[in-house]
Amino acid sequence: MTKPLLLKGIDEPGLDTLEVYQRRGGYDALRKALSMTREEVLHELEVSGIRGRGGAGFAMGKKISFLPKGAIDKYLVCNADESEPGTFKDRELMQKNPHMLIEGMIIAAYAGGINRAFIYIRGEYELQAQKLEQAVEEAKRAAYLGEGILGSDHSLTLWVHRGAGAYICGEETALLDSLEGKRGNPRLKPPFPANQGLYQGPTLINNVETLATAPVIIRMGGEEYAKLGTAGSTGTKVVSVSGHVQRPGNYEVELGIPSREIIYGLAGGPPEGREVKLWFPGGSSAPVLTADDLDVPYDFDSLAKAGSMLGSGAIIVIDDSTPVVDVAMKTAKFYRHESCGKCTPCREGTNWTVKMLERIDSGEATPMDLDIMAAVQENIIGNCLCVLGDAMAMPIGSMILKFREEFEAHIEAARARNELATTDEAPPEALIQGAVA
Amino acid sequence: MVSFTIDGLEVTAPQNAMLVDAAKHGDVEIPVFCYEPKLGAPVGACRMCLVEIEGIPKLQTGCSTPVKDGMVVHTQTDRVRQAQEAVVEFLLINHPLDCPVCDKGGECPLQDISFGWGGGRSRFIEPKRHFQKPLALSPLIAIDRERCILCYRCVRFSQELSEDYQLVLEERGAHTYVATFDGHPYVAPFSGNIIELCPVGALTSQPYRFRARPWDIEGAGSVCTLCPAQCNVTFTVRDERVLRVLARDHAEVDDGWLCDKGRFAYQAVHVDERVTHPMIRDGGELRRVTWERALAEAGAALRRAKGRVGAIVGGETTNEEGFLLQRLMREGLDSGDLDSRQGGTLPLGLHRALAVPDAQATVPDLEFAHAVLVLDTEPVDDMPIVDLRLRKGVRRHGVKLAVATSRPSSLDPNARASIRYAPGAGEAFLRALGAALTPGGGDVDELAAGAGADAGAVRGLAQLLRSAGEDMVILYGERLVSGPRAAEAAQALLEVASALNVTGGREGAGLLCVPAGTNGRGLAEAGVLPNAGPGYAAVDGGRDAAAIADGARHGELTALYLLHADPLVELPGRDRWAEALERATTVVAHAAWLTEGLLEHATVVFPAESYAEKEGTITHPDGRLQRLRPAIGHPGETRAEWSVIADVARAVGLDLGVLTGPMATAQLADAVPFYAGLTLEEIGGKGVRWQTRAAAAALPAAEIQPASLQIAPSAAPANGRLRLGTYRSIWNAPEVRVSPSLQFLHPKLRLEIAPSDAQRLELFPGDHVVVGSDGHTVDATVAVRSTMPEGSVFLETNALEGPLVEVRRA
Repeated sequence: MTKPLLLKGIDEPGLDTLEVYQRRGGYDALRKALSMTREEVLHELEVSGIRGRGGAGFAMGKKISFLPKGAIDKYLVCNADESEPGTFKDRELMQKNPHMLIEGMIIAAYAGGINRAFIYIRGEYELQAQKLEQAVEEAKRAAYLGEGILGSDHSLTLWVHRGAGAYICGEETALLDSLEGKRGNPRLKPPFPANQGLYQGPTLINNVETLATAPVIIRMGGEEYAKLGTAGSTGTKVVSVSGHVQRPGNYEVELGIPSREIIYGLAGGPPEGREVKLWFPGGSSAPVLTADDLDVPYDFDSLAKAGSMLGSGAIIVIDDSTPVVDVAMKTAKFYRHESCGKCTPCREGTNWTVKMLERIDSGEATPMDLDIMAAVQENIIGNCLCVLGDAMAMPIGSMILKFREEFEAHIEAARARNELATTDEAPPEALIQGAVA
Repeated sequence: MVSFTIDGLEVTAPQNAMLVDAAKHGDVEIPVFCYEPKLGAPVGACRMCLVEIEGIPKLQTGCSTPVKDGMVVHTQTDRVRQAQEAVVEFLLINHPLDCPVCDKGGECPLQDISFGWGGGRSRFIEPKRHFQKPLALSPLIAIDRERCILCYRCVRFSQELSEDYQLVLEERGAHTYVATFDGHPYVAPFSGNIIELCPVGALTSQPYRFRARPWDIEGAGSVCTLCPAQCNVTFTVRDERVLRVLARDHAEVDDGWLCDKGRFAYQAVHVDERVTHPMIRDGGELRRVTWERALAEAGAALRRAKGRVGAIVGGETTNEEGFLLQRLMREGLDSGDLDSRQGGTLPLGLHRALAVPDAQATVPDLEFAHAVLVLDTEPVDDMPIVDLRLRKGVRRHGVKLAVATSRPSSLDPNARASIRYAPGAGEAFLRALGAALTPGGGDVDELAAGAGADAGAVRGLAQLLRSAGEDMVILYGERLVSGPRAAEAAQALLEVASALNVTGGREGAGLLCVPAGTNGRGLAEAGVLPNAGPGYAAVDGGRDAAAIADGARHGELTALYLLHADPLVELPGRDRWAEALERATTVVAHAAWLTEGLLEHATVVFPAESYAEKEGTITHPDGRLQRLRPAIGHPGETRAEWSVIADVARAVGLDLGVLTGPMATAQLADAVPFYAGLTLEEIGGKGVRWQTRAAAAALPAAEIQPASLQIAPSAAPANGRLRLGTYRSIWNAPEVRVSPSLQFLHPKLRLEIAPSDAQRLELFPGDHVVVGSDGHTVDATVAVRSTMPEGSVFLETNALEGPLVEVRRA
């Protein structure tokens, strides 16, 4: 069921060193790319049809082609701020095979005519950052980085930059602000980074997995790569499966296989005697799907058609042991905590939603509050500066829609519990008063 | 222009205008909170301006979407209305809605927009966010974080406009709040602007808090006369009292900003210290008398002293007052001994050469020039609002800024080149720069050494200026062309300007002088100069300020007329002036405050009007005549000063023929050829630059004799002594000293010294020292500044720059 391209032999000891990576054919794709023209490399990436693996799913080749041509300062930024709950694919790639990412970045930079590159890695990934820094040093010594790479006219300087661990810094423009040393707040788009990004220069931003796929595409050829997967979602995808499954972990699959095969086939499904209640197909910001949707093919278009999204490719499975209100609360609190506060709907909407959920959980709500909560999610979606607000509103909205009865039952149960507590205490008090009188 | 459709209306609007602005052309209002074009590029944070554009699936922010030809925009659809109501609801959920006790109530965009675009109800029943409130953001500004809607206009102002970087956002999400870096008070020259920027009642003025409500105040437009920037202001008036000053946005003068002095020093209008009735000296004391008595006394004394009267005119004097005074002096008292400059006479030819329209730059030129050379002036102190304009030019339009001063400048970090020379060596520096600009112009090394400047830096500056582009502005301080060698310095300035083709009549290039006094330019043009009548007309030369002091000391002048001036505290040569005032039999003064010299020596004091009471015109350094209009009535027995001067003239037997303020303006326009035909109506609320009128050609042609290269006196320090420079901080003004809320900013006398000099003299910050030169000493407190050039010290006084001083511990 798996189709390992990126994860192939990932557990081989010492793969994080240049020696082992090269022995396994590492940097051959770079040599091949450098023997081609920039346009040819870009062409291969374009025909591969690979879509961004970070969440938005934008075609990588097209993104590079948006960069202005000519000898100006352009930047490549690798988004390694993998913060989406449930997503841990980039961590494994960077930790176990850092050179593949570096090789991919050199190829992408070559295609875009870029000479300066950054890896923005989240602060919590200390081990991975160290591995990357070691790998960058090795690559420099081996002349894969620096002036005139492998005797070509292509030069690239690469820095590894540690973020401070804010979810918002995974949003590409907030990442750029943070990288520039500012508060990590998203910028207004347009201008898009391809025109005005880092230090106002044209900037290509891609996810770790996307960039790490570049050597694979160059090695096998864009057309060959495009034969994998489906027409709209070519290639393979590393899927992080977590939650109530028996074998959580990263699985690389060809896009388009049935989701059930990933959740049950690869990850072993929920524990004995449990049923899938709901699942996030693409990280915690994707609208939730239910057991009815398990046969949806796992690719960009099919999941969108099913009302959700592939996102970062992180499946979180929740089984029937967990109340949906708890899931909603966990999700909403995360986004409230991570909202940067710049735009109104996200800042106020996430906060309001959490407060309503707390009231639902404590039995101080009525079913009317569910309508208000649903309306608040609608007022957030599409009205924010970046997608963080939507990232909370979409799953919460979908939970209310799909599990309204359970929410109502939860409200009723909590209310009854409260009532019981008050009636239990009230009589003795009244009795004492009576005695005094 | 492009044409687009908004709410079914076909509208034409300027290309690239943002939709919120373009919509106004069709009378459609799109509500905004965070959008403020003055703050630079839109940020799209508040989401209030969401509109629907056909062909784009998502709603777009009107503040950041430029209008395109054929665009079809909707602002009234259900979708847009739902989004607008949603944003208002979101903004109000944590807002305390304490409008009845909020200063902003009644003039609050949040109120207005909630009313106009909100849903009129809230579904929020959770506890609101709470903060401690109000807190003092500074002694001038109170912050109420509960009212804040986090549009972060104030933070953007601090970070991107005034560049003081003091305001920051702390925390994030719903816990975000506006704070100062490290909790320090937000004290900065332009901090008050955030009060006006705030679209809610989160930032309020401490002095204005709870003083009035919008429905019991009136706004009166006028001009601030506290510095040469002459910002346009609106006085908030309640019951004949000025309670607040707001900016009256004028893109060509102030860009809609005010400095804190201009914003808060209105308090000086209503303090007890003000002189509000005439006084005469009687038995050694100044005693209150009637106007009749004071005028008779002054008239008799001046008549007796006819031909032996000298007049000093302060910078806040209006054109009309200055004009009438010079008539009184020249026609009524047979004296041409009058001056409005701080020191040093410029030959008439140089006056004219510096004033010709071809050589004149405007304030907006500073923003759009290829390069600006800031020469011997510190804009933030001397003409504060220009500091913001220069920063804007550098930040948004890539102006190449060069700074050449003796004292480290706050603009140094923004400058491509910063160069230091010894205090008082401006002329020598210009000679060095001139030599570097002209092939064969002289020995740059030698000339630079004479100026105490680095020759390499001078060459670098010349290279920068030569290659910067054609639109070049030289912003220079009047102090550069003051002092005993004023003429030589002016000549050197004109030569450098000519070498850079700054004075060739090119639009966007030119000179801009920062006068020492507010109306320095207007007074010179009105004829308040010893060697020029109205319109720089040739007259028999009289005494300049320094010579008037000497004349009085030697008994050649027996009466002094001080119009808004106390030479003892404002002019160089304090000792000489003390002697002059002591010796003069008559000292007639128009004054709002009894400063030292007047308290001891004035024989007749007329109460001076404050700028909120004045009627008349003043002239901006770039030649814009602006109109002062009275906002309040005269307090006490104060009278219009043009009429007081006319009364004094009558008392000495001269009928000036003015019965109203506008008659004085008309006389001025008749007397100054290049003001010909100018009326108050033409000046109006926005002023008019005389250079743009046909009459401008009437300025007499400048005749300058090309001077041979003159080597300025060397400025290198010697014998371990230090070279004295002077400055005047923005806060060094009588209005600041008497305004209760600004008092804390009034500076103590500090001696700024370089770390190396301090070390050599074993001085530490805060030490009390005596600074002495030629037997005269002053006490000061040591302030060590790391950027100070070695060998120079700076004192906040009016002394002439350049002498060598000794510094020792007190």
